[in-house]
Amino acid sequence: MSDVLIQLFADVLQVEPSALDDNISPDTLQRWDSLAAMHLVAAIEEKFKIELSTKEIMEMSSIGRTRKILQGKNVQV
Amino acid sequence: MDPKAKWREHQRRIKQPSNISIALAGSVTLEPLEPYVGAHLLQKGFKSPNIVIGAFNQIHQICFDYKSVFGNEDFDAIVLLWRLEDIFPLALDQSLEKQTSTLFQEIEKLAKAIKNLRGAFNGTLIVSTPPYPFLPEFEVLNLGQGVSGMVVYQEALHIWTEEMSKLKRVQLLDLHGLLLNTGLKNAYDVRKWYLYHQPYTEIFWQEIGTQIGRIISAEKISPKKCIVLDCDDTLWGGIVGEDGLQGIRLGDEFPGKAFCDFQRYLLWLKNNGIFLTIASKNNPDDVFEVFDKHDAMVLSRKDIAAFEIGWESKVEGIKRIAKKLNIGLDSLVFIDDSAKEIGEVRDRLSEVTCLLTPEELAHLPGLLRKTDLFDTSEITDEDRKRTEMIVSEQSRLSLQEALSEVDFRKSLKLEVHVFEMEKQHLARITQLINKTNQFNMTTIRRTQNEVEVLVKNKDFLVLGCEVKDRYGEYGLVGVAILKKKNKVCDIDTLLMSCRVLGRGAETAFIAKLAESAEIIGCEEIYGHYISTPKNKMVRDLYKKHNFRHDSESDAWIVKTDAAPKVPKHIQASLRLVR
Repeated sequence: MSDVLIQLFADVLQVEPSALDDNISPDTLQRWDSLAAMHLVAAIEEKFKIELSTKEIMEMSSIGRTRKILQGKNVQV
Repeated sequence: MDPKAKWREHQRRIKQPSNISIALAGSVTLEPLEPYVGAHLLQKGFKSPNIVIGAFNQIHQICFDYKSVFGNEDFDAIVLLWRLEDIFPLALDQSLEKQTSTLFQEIEKLAKAIKNLRGAFNGTLIVSTPPYPFLPEFEVLNLGQGVSGMVVYQEALHIWTEEMSKLKRVQLLDLHGLLLNTGLKNAYDVRKWYLYHQPYTEIFWQEIGTQIGRIISAEKISPKKCIVLDCDDTLWGGIVGEDGLQGIRLGDEFPGKAFCDFQRYLLWLKNNGIFLTIASKNNPDDVFEVFDKHDAMVLSRKDIAAFEIGWESKVEGIKRIAKKLNIGLDSLVFIDDSAKEIGEVRDRLSEVTCLLTPEELAHLPGLLRKTDLFDTSEITDEDRKRTEMIVSEQSRLSLQEALSEVDFRKSLKLEVHVFEMEKQHLARITQLINKTNQFNMTTIRRTQNEVEVLVKNKDFLVLGCEVKDRYGEYGLVGVAILKKKNKVCDIDTLLMSCRVLGRGAETAFIAKLAESAEIIGCEEIYGHYISTPKNKMVRDLYKKHNFRHDSESDAWIVKTDAAPKVPKHIQASLRLVR
């Protein structure tokens, strides 16, 4: 079973999961533009049944940071 | 599958060219709409939808040069969503200070811009109503203040819908109505407004996307035509054969009220052209007694196009209903409270759409409210009269039984009027083009805009055929599209509603079609038969009408002077505008 969060990013960004790791950020992956960011937030909220604050959303500057934020909200990722 | 996953999956897989192309733009970020519109179109059977989103707040630009925003692609539909607070923020502020004229003028100007776009673009144009403004001044919870905002808003909405209804062929997407349906609290997501300039929750985007998908599909997909209803515990509560006329539940108090409300919804569908029919396991007299004598019955006998009451399988009754009304089984929706009956029909007549009534009786009246089974882009006068026409058809049939075939035809006093189509017929022609399955030589479907282009094009002649007889008018029931190439006239489309067949009306139509081909300077007529699973009945139509088959081109050819004549028992006329 692959990493749930990586899989989610791969689905939304339409890239292979193998191309992603926790260091990936909008600066290293062109597809992660502002529109993709919007779709990511929608997908994360739906998948984990949580609501992110604007502060949290703005801090999601890499997959690793996103993981930290989600763990802070008791999501097992 | 969830619509977003379904859409992503589709985008990963497809590389075939798109068969339907939609352009979306609005005064807010619309990207979240894409998967919902796309998933709905996929679900409706469009194989490869393509969706293009224009940059936000470019509505005026789009109206004057849509290609500069969307590119040069051929779009089937353009969808525009807008809000007062995005486009006219200053005028909206002023309007609350009792200076409403600027706002109303701005709205009229936007309507003119839409009119310009309508003239420049040939596809389906869908434009939203502005939703109730999401501003502190318009806050509905503010004591007192919300009222003045509401008054300004109502007037603005009124002006907009009036202006849009003056424009032909603009479909209104009732964004405000959808907002009411979802509720302000569930529709707004202020976080996303500040972060991405998109104001709505996923729930609301899904509502909007589905509605857009429905409007687009309704232009291309034929709706269901007939509902087959069970009686006991479907039209009324209880079993009339056991509980008796007074024992069944039907009336002003729940549970009877739920059945009355359901009947009211059915009656509304009937008034919009859907046949209502009955398939019931009962003694016929018991059912008719309810229809004729029960005070609380909303539906009456004349609202029902066919009754099949008896003790044999409902499958047989449903087959007879389809035959009687001359419609395909796939145009039927069967509603019953018995899972067993539903199962049997579903197994043996897989084309019929089956709906089991909900366990919660309070949900029965809403059973058909949320379905898109009856979606249609425009309702014509023929639709409204449909059941009346079938009831007069039944008097025709009883006459037929009493007379010989020849005498019957003579006694009908059939009249066929063939004429060149003009703009006012567009809705009905388009409907026939998209709904007629059986008597349809080529089954080429077209949108209203595509038909309009042909009506205006001088190389094409679009003919309509109206039929009436001593029992009543059938209305506009036939369409032919002729394409002139030098001295050859090509029949691109020839179709008729099946209700009028078998009495020579089709021969009269072909005779008049040939006459018009001659008038526009043609010497030969080419007909084509494109086989579909449903149009076997017209396989030999051209053969029966003196056309000879040319194996090289696979066309059916006749010289205009060798074409059939109007049968003697029919009075036929022809009117061309050109």
